Order: sequence, then C-alpha cells, then structure tokens
Amino acid sequence: MTNLNVNVEHVTRVEGHGNILVDAKEGKLERVMWEIPEAPRYFEAFVKGKPYTQLAQITARICGICSIGHALTSLKATEDALDIEVSEQDVKLRELALHGENMQSHVLHVGYLALPDLVGEGSVIPLATSHPEELKKVISLHKLANELSRVTCGRTTHPRRLIPGGFSKLPSPLELENMKTKLEGSVPVLHEVASFVKGLSSALPDFERETEFISLTHDDEYAFYDGKIASTDGDITPVDDYLSVTNEYVVPQSTAKYTKNNRESYMVGALARLNNNYDLLSPLAKEVAEDFGLSPVCHNPYMNTIAQLVEVVHSVEDSINLIDDILDKGIEEQGLNHQPDIEPKAGTGVGAVEVPRGILFHEYTYDDEGRCTKANCIIPTNQNHGNIQHDMESLVPQILDQGEDKVELILEMLVRAYDPCISCSTHYVDVKFKR
Amino acid sequence: MKITIDGKEFSCKPGQKVYDVAEENDIYIPTLCLNKLNHEERPAGCRICLVELVGQGNAEPKLESSCSLPVHDGMEISTKNKVVYDERREVLELLLSEHEQDCRNCGISGDCYFADLCFEYDIDGVSVCSECPNRKDGCFLARDILCLGPVTHAGCNAFCTRNGDPCESCFGVLSNKDVLVFGLEAFGENGFTRDQVLEAAKVFSYEEVRVLEELMDEYDLLNKEVSE
Ligand code: SF4
Ligand code: SF4
Ligand code: SF4
Ligand code: FES
Repeated sequence: MTNLNVNVEHVTRVEGHGNILVDAKEGKLERVMWEIPEAPRYFEAFVKGKPYTQLAQITARICGICSIGHALTSLKATEDALDIEVSEQDVKLRELALHGENMQSHVLHVGYLALPDLVGEGSVIPLATSHPEELKKVISLHKLANELSRVTCGRTTHPRRLIPGGFSKLPSPLELENMKTKLEGSVPVLHEVASFVKGLSSALPDFERETEFISLTHDDEYAFYDGKIASTDGDITPVDDYLSVTNEYVVPQSTAKYTKNNRESYMVGALARLNNNYDLLSPLAKEVAEDFGLSPVCHNPYMNTIAQLVEVVHSVEDSINLIDDILDKGIEEQGLNHQPDIEPKAGTGVGAVEVPRGILFHEYTYDDEGRCTKANCIIPTNQNHGNIQHDMESLVPQILDQGEDKVELILEMLVRAYDPCISCSTHYVDVKFKR
Repeated sequence: MKITIDGKEFSCKPGQKVYDVAEENDIYIPTLCLNKLNHEERPAGCRICLVELVGQGNAEPKLESSCSLPVHDGMEISTKNKVVYDERREVLELLLSEHEQDCRNCGISGDCYFADLCFEYDIDGVSVCSECPNRKDGCFLARDILCLGPVTHAGCNAFCTRNGDPCESCFGVLSNKDVLVFGLEAFGENGFTRDQVLEAAKVFSYEEVRVLEELMDEYDLLNKEVSE
C-alpha cells in the first residue's frame, strides 16, 4: 500500500498563490486541500468616501487581466445607483471592449498557460521550438485581442475611455473598419488553432463531477455584458439579488471567501456560460464546440479550457457583427473630451458582468454627493474555490494509484483549468513535495 | 580643411560654423535661439548648443556655442560627454527658471521643442499640459472639470487627456516648485478648491497629496474662503 504526499506550494501558470495538499496513507485518502494564502486586497475599504467618478478607475486596478471587466462592472453598479443612462451605441462599444478582453485573457490561458500541459511541457517557452507555427498563430490572436481593447478603451490594460454614462472618446469609423478586417482575417487562424488543440485534447483528463454552473443569461444574446443570473439547476435570479446566489462564507484554509448556492459549491467561467447559454453561441463557435464534443451540461471542469476556446471564436464573430451594427447606424458625434452631465444622488446599485473567469459583481452605495459609502465586490475566482476543493475531493481517490507525479500534474491541471486569478500577479515557483 | 567631431573627421569650408558641419553630417546638437528665420544672424543667446572644444597642446578644453563657433583646420570637437550634458542641462534649468510656464495657454504646447529638451535632459520641469492637445478648446479646467495636468510630470504624452479624460497624476507631481505653484494658481483661477485638488491627487498617491498640501500652506494658495 502506498503512502502519498503531494504538497504543491503555489501552483504555477495561474495568477497568484494557491497551494495543493494531499495526504494519503496506505491507499486511503486522509486529507486533500486547496489553500489560498494570498493576502486580502482591501479594495472595498479604500473606495469608501471616493466620488463616483473615480470608482471604475480605482477598481479596474483589482486585476491587470480583467481591468476592462472590472471597470465595466463598476460603471454598471454606479450607473444603476445614480440612474445614469447609457446609449445603445455605447453599450455595443462596451460589449466590443469586453470581447477584446475576453479574447485576450482566453488566448493567454489556452495558448500560454494550458497548452504546455497538453503537449507535456513545463511552460510555453519550449513550444517556441517544438511548435513554432502554432505558437505564432496564438500570438497573432493575442495581439488582435489587445488591439480590440486598445481601439475601444484607449489602451490594452486599465481602460481610460470608459466613464459613467458612456465613453470619453469614441473610436473612429476607420479604426472600427480596420478592426473588422483584422477580425475577419483571424477566422482561418482560429480554425487552425482549434484543430491543433483538438489534436491534443485527449490529454485532458476524463473526469466528471456533477455540480452547479452559474453565469449571466440573456434572451437575445450569449450573455457577457447584461442579463440575469442563471443556474444549471434551473433558477433565474435578478442581478439585484446576487447575494442570494453567492452566499459567501469563510473557511480556515483560505484568505478568500468561498461561495455556494443550491449545492455545496458552484462553478463560474466559460464552461458555466456555455452550459447556460449554449444555444446563443455564434454559428462558428457552435461548430468548434461540436467538434470537441462539448455540449451542455458538461460536468468535466477540464473542458473549461475548451469552452474558452469556443468563446474566443464567439467573441470574434460577435465583434464583427457588433462593428457592422455600429457602422451601419453611424457613430453618433459627441464632441471632444466627452464628460456627460451627471447629477449625483444617493442610491445603491449592482453591476454584474461576465468577465473571462466568470460572473463578477460590484455593489455600491452612494450618499447624496455621489460619494461611495459602501462597496462589495465578488470576484469570479473566489466563487470557484469551493468547487475546486470538491472536485479534488472527488478526483483524488480515483487517481490515487497513479503515483505522486501524476497526481500532482492532474491536480495542477485541474486548478489551471479554472484559470484562477488568485491575486493579480503571476508567480512561477517550483513544486515541492512533503514526504 | 578638416575638423574632427566625436572622433570622426569631416571636411568643411572656411567661415562655416561647427554647428553647420555637424548638421550636414547628421550629428545632432540641440538649438533653441537658432532657427530658420535667423539662420544668418546667429543670435547665439541661449547656449543650449554648447559643445566641447578639445584643447590643443596644453590648452584646456573649452565649452563654446557651436552655432557661432567658426571652424579652423584640425579643430577637435566633442558633442557628447558628461561635461557637455551637464552644462546643457544647467542652461535648460536657467531658461526654465525664467520661463513663465503656462503650457495650457501656450500656442505650441503639444509640439514644444523646449519641453522635449527638458525630457531629454531629465529636467523635472514641464507638466502634462505641455503635451496636451486640449489647451485650445478642450481644456478641462475651463469646463469646470479638475485636471491635474498642470502639476503633473509630463512624459505620458498626455495619455488621458488625449483620450478625453482629465489627468489624475499617475506620473506623480513635479518636483519643480515654481511650476507646481503655477499649476495650483491655475486651479484657483478656475474656481477649484483645496479639497477638490487634494482629493483628485489622492487617486494615485498620498505622497503627492502631502507635497501639494505643503505648497498650498507655504504660498497660501487655494484657501477655501478664496476659492469657494
Ligand atoms: S509649451 Fe510650455 S514649456 Fe513649451 S514654450 Fe509653451 S509654455 Fe513653455
Ligand atoms: S486638459 Fe489638463 S493637461 Fe490639457 S491643458 Fe488642460 S489642464 Fe493641461
Ligand atoms: S493620469 Fe497619468 S497617464 Fe493620464 S495624463 Fe495624467 S500622468 Fe498621463
Ligand atoms: S542655438 Fe542658441 S546659442 Fe546656439
């Protein structure tokens, strides 16, 4: 009978710190634990007292990857609280910005962080010699995604043009047309990357555990920017009642709060969105999903990476349509340095947006001068921690006989499949064993 | 006739100035008072075009304004060394101290060679306004929107104001007191209060807030009563 001790301190190729602990004695699992030792960030405390104009700029700094998502969620909460209108055109442009970020983050995860596992490498660097052509394609997609963010937000990270009520500066029709041409040009590249990943996808562990998937949902579109909260267990909740879904609680092994809804845990992210909104995927995205045999409800968390790939295709296709739409109607002039007139007032508002790693909530209360008196942010990765823990508990007994190295790899791959953004900084640390 | 500039030999004609030989051969020397219109007269007043005339025999090296220094055969010139750099920097600092820096209302800001030189010589003296395209119609201060451009270290090419948003001073406030005071006065003239300015500065750093606060006290600027 084997004793098994896995202690992965700081899983690599994820954002931030997370540890995996597995102890087994004589074939019996004694302990498995997903620990989050990351220091708390206190953003909610330091936006207190700040005027509504600053909140999106400040909270965007929660994350260097989903800064657009944070800015938009923050703006939606503020706009909800202060009853600020946003034009249809500006909503479309925001959706474009979100697609840019979603593509950027997914390509980064699928191409640079998850792919090495599939080809059996420790990082993306060896791929430059083993798969140079494929890697070039991945890089070209990453670049394209960044450009979409830049055209809509002024820069790729930490958007500047997104402000309460709309945009301080709009992209020019020419910029959008150029963007569209490039997006169209990327479709064949997407197909090539998808078939490359398809060829490797047998390396994804075949593991299933029934769980609940939570994401936004919308009648007319694959929800990213707007919608209600949907669960694969069937219930639909208005965004204002998000607390009845997230039910945060504290666990001793983590500095991050855990969440649960109908079951002991739930999952958010690309797979959750796809499970809830599959029918609204763009035609090409659906084709890719079918190609991978990915259909709702998929309970294999490792397929989150594939769901991300499908979403990249969706984002490209939907961005092309959005640009067509905006250009057809013609961009409305708004003058140089547009800063809408807003009357501050007291109120509370909630914003929910699907960011790359899942559903993100911001809730703010403002006083009558438009100063924030209370803030709450619930980040996707936190909502996934509980599910990761339960996946591990169910997965480890099934793979216990495969030896430390294999167990460690499969568990690390599991964590990486969730694409967690544990803090907002990447740490590459060697794996350690506790014996 | 030949002269050596930065170790390379170039032919030249009698009566030419060192600056002209350098220019013909794509050697960059900054100029301020010399321009297309006064090319013949050579006012030679700013001294930013200083170069080092390497001493021959026992002679000490000398700093000379290249725009007015006539060539002579066998002359040796250095345009890039620490002494030249430091001296030019000093020239710029002197010019800056006499320069009423109101980039917001200056016709050439956004395209200001003087501001560019200040960057090049690492002088913490020009504000975001010097790079800002909004000074004519779009300036936020004139629209009652507080923009920290006037007190903020330039270098971002006025990224935010170019994108339609006021500057929040992420580059930090200038260390040049004169310019800071000028900027704070501009806030006062446009009706902003001390608290508003301090709050805006808080977005990126509390240290900046302290610097501004001390200056306001020292120069009695932006007093609540006055501005409100
Ligand atoms: S832009 Fe500013 S630094 Fe340049 S000349 Fe005008 S006031 Fe002086
Ligand atoms: S908008 Fe701001 S940076 Fe631009 S000139 Fe006005 S104060 Fe200066
Ligand atoms: S906030 Fe920073 S980037 Fe923006 S204009 Fe000011 S100094 Fe430049
Ligand atoms: S350019 Fe002004 S002294 Fe030569």
